[in-house]
Amino acid sequence: MDNNQSESILKVSDLCVQYGIFKAVKEVSFDVRKGEIFGLLGPNGAGKTSTLSAIEGLIEYQSGTVIVDGHNAKEKPLYARAAMGVQLQSTSFQPELKVSEILQLFAGIYGVKLTNEKLTAILKDISLEDAAGKRFGQLSGGQQQRVSLVISTIHNPRLVLLDEPTTGLDPQSRRQLWERIEAIRERGHAVVLTTHSMEEAESVCDRIGIIDHGKVITIDTPQALIEKHKNDPEVIAVSRKGRVTLEDVFIALTGKEVRA
Amino acid sequence: MEETIIPKTSTVLAALLKADFTTLWRNRRAVVMVFLVPIVILVSWKDLVAKMGAAFALSNSLTYGLIAIGLMGYTNSIARDRDKGIFQRLRVAPAPNWTIMMSRIFVQLSMIALVTTAIFVVGYDYDKITLTPTGYALTYLTAIVGGAVYLALGQVIVGLIKNPETVNSTSRLVYFTFVIVGMFGGMGMLGKQVEQMTQWSPYGTVKTIMAAGMVPGSWTMDTTNALLVTLGYTLVFAVIGIKNFKWNTK
Ligand SMILES: Nc1ncnc2c1ncn2[C@@H]1O[C@H](COP(=O)(O)OP(=O)(O)OP(=O)(O)O)[C@@H](O)[C@H]1O
Ligand SMILES: [Mg+2]
Repeated sequence: MDNNQSESILKVSDLCVQYGIFKAVKEVSFDVRKGEIFGLLGPNGAGKTSTLSAIEGLIEYQSGTVIVDGHNAKEKPLYARAAMGVQLQSTSFQPELKVSEILQLFAGIYGVKLTNEKLTAILKDISLEDAAGKRFGQLSGGQQQRVSLVISTIHNPRLVLLDEPTTGLDPQSRRQLWERIEAIRERGHAVVLTTHSMEEAESVCDRIGIIDHGKVITIDTPQALIEKHKNDPEVIAVSRKGRVTLEDVFIALTGKEVRA
Repeated sequence: MEETIIPKTSTVLAALLKADFTTLWRNRRAVVMVFLVPIVILVSWKDLVAKMGAAFALSNSLTYGLIAIGLMGYTNSIARDRDKGIFQRLRVAPAPNWTIMMSRIFVQLSMIALVTTAIFVVGYDYDKITLTPTGYALTYLTAIVGGAVYLALGQVIVGLIKNPETVNSTSRLVYFTFVIVGMFGGMGMLGKQVEQMTQWSPYGTVKTIMAAGMVPGSWTMDTTNALLVTLGYTLVFAVIGIKNFKWNTK
């Protein structure tokens, strides 16, 4: 295996996803490397969740290839899934199960040995040590989110896919999550996240891909994107207080109208 | 590149089973129906036991228990968890799809064994019904075979209908149709033709094999035919139910 390939943990090429006759993802390609946080940005309905679902194996894709940690997701789905940790945009766990039972369930499914000490450490890590005996259905939205997030890394995966992980979190939890995501990067693993917060994209993502109407518009570092577009008339037109932000670039590139 | 480890299927199944049994236990109040109807029938039919025989009473009430398991317990839990996205979360883990379903079905099969046991106990306690050891053993077997028909029928419902509320009302409707037709049609109250049809419906064939299983000496060619028809129904229902099944409601 050459050096270049081993660098990339996720390689998506010419991915096309179709629902009936509606093309939700059109020839999307991007690469996520070791130790990189990649942000997937785009308006509502742009195709972010569809792209992630294809990578995760939840939906069939019509064409293109997805390589996760060297495993073709179509040919070796279990290997691809074992190498990735996932947080879905809309998902849940059995509301009757206690938090500790849910952690045990997923530890088992991922083949991780979960000792009592480890379980306590995980719960402490997400500040839910007192909630171990609570049923998942009794947790607040943000607490449920934290459980879901910690499960996405329970098996120390090389690729972590997070679909709007900070939606619904309070500022404290959001900051904590950013640190957690950066810790994954420090370990040399890769993260793909989607977000509608340009502030978040700017402060945690190493590179971002902007996608709209199922197509990748541009991929670059946040700074480079601002640099590249700061003098575009469309960008200046939407910028406020004379300072160009990533949000200005985003709106200029994807248009001002609100999506259906 | 580090090596990717795929967890052992047995580990995966054990984790799923533990979670599914825990969920069932926490919902135990919801499964009261499964036990209640057959037991009420058994208790209220005390006089019929003398007239129609123990096997008649036991097999009838047990059939209602099996129908309730397949049509209420199984369908509703699947419809709800699918709607909540619980399956999707499991499916992005390296657990093969079949293990997720296998665990669910295994939980229901245990319910079948439990209901069968309850019927035996109540039947003995209340109506002084006893079977031979072979009769008991064979009944567990035929109950599983019969229960599978209704699980497969439940699969058809969740295969064709996505909305959990619609699944709930549909399965209830089918359940009560079975109860009514079984009770009145099976006894000939709705005429000879309906009685015939009931006999070869998924209600009648299951009742037939269970009644014969309880008294193995009474197993005839007709019983064997009923068994084959039962297996046929299961196969057809399972194919339709699995082919149309979607893991999400979107
Ligand atoms: N199961 C489905 N069947 C039909 N169309 C779908 C389905 N899932 C998504 N779509 C459509 O595909 C498009 C992309 O949806 P997707 O969920 O990928 O968007 P998104 O970028 O994640 O949006 P958001 O920011 O709102 O989460 C949308 O137009 C959506 O209506
Ligand atoms: Mg989305």
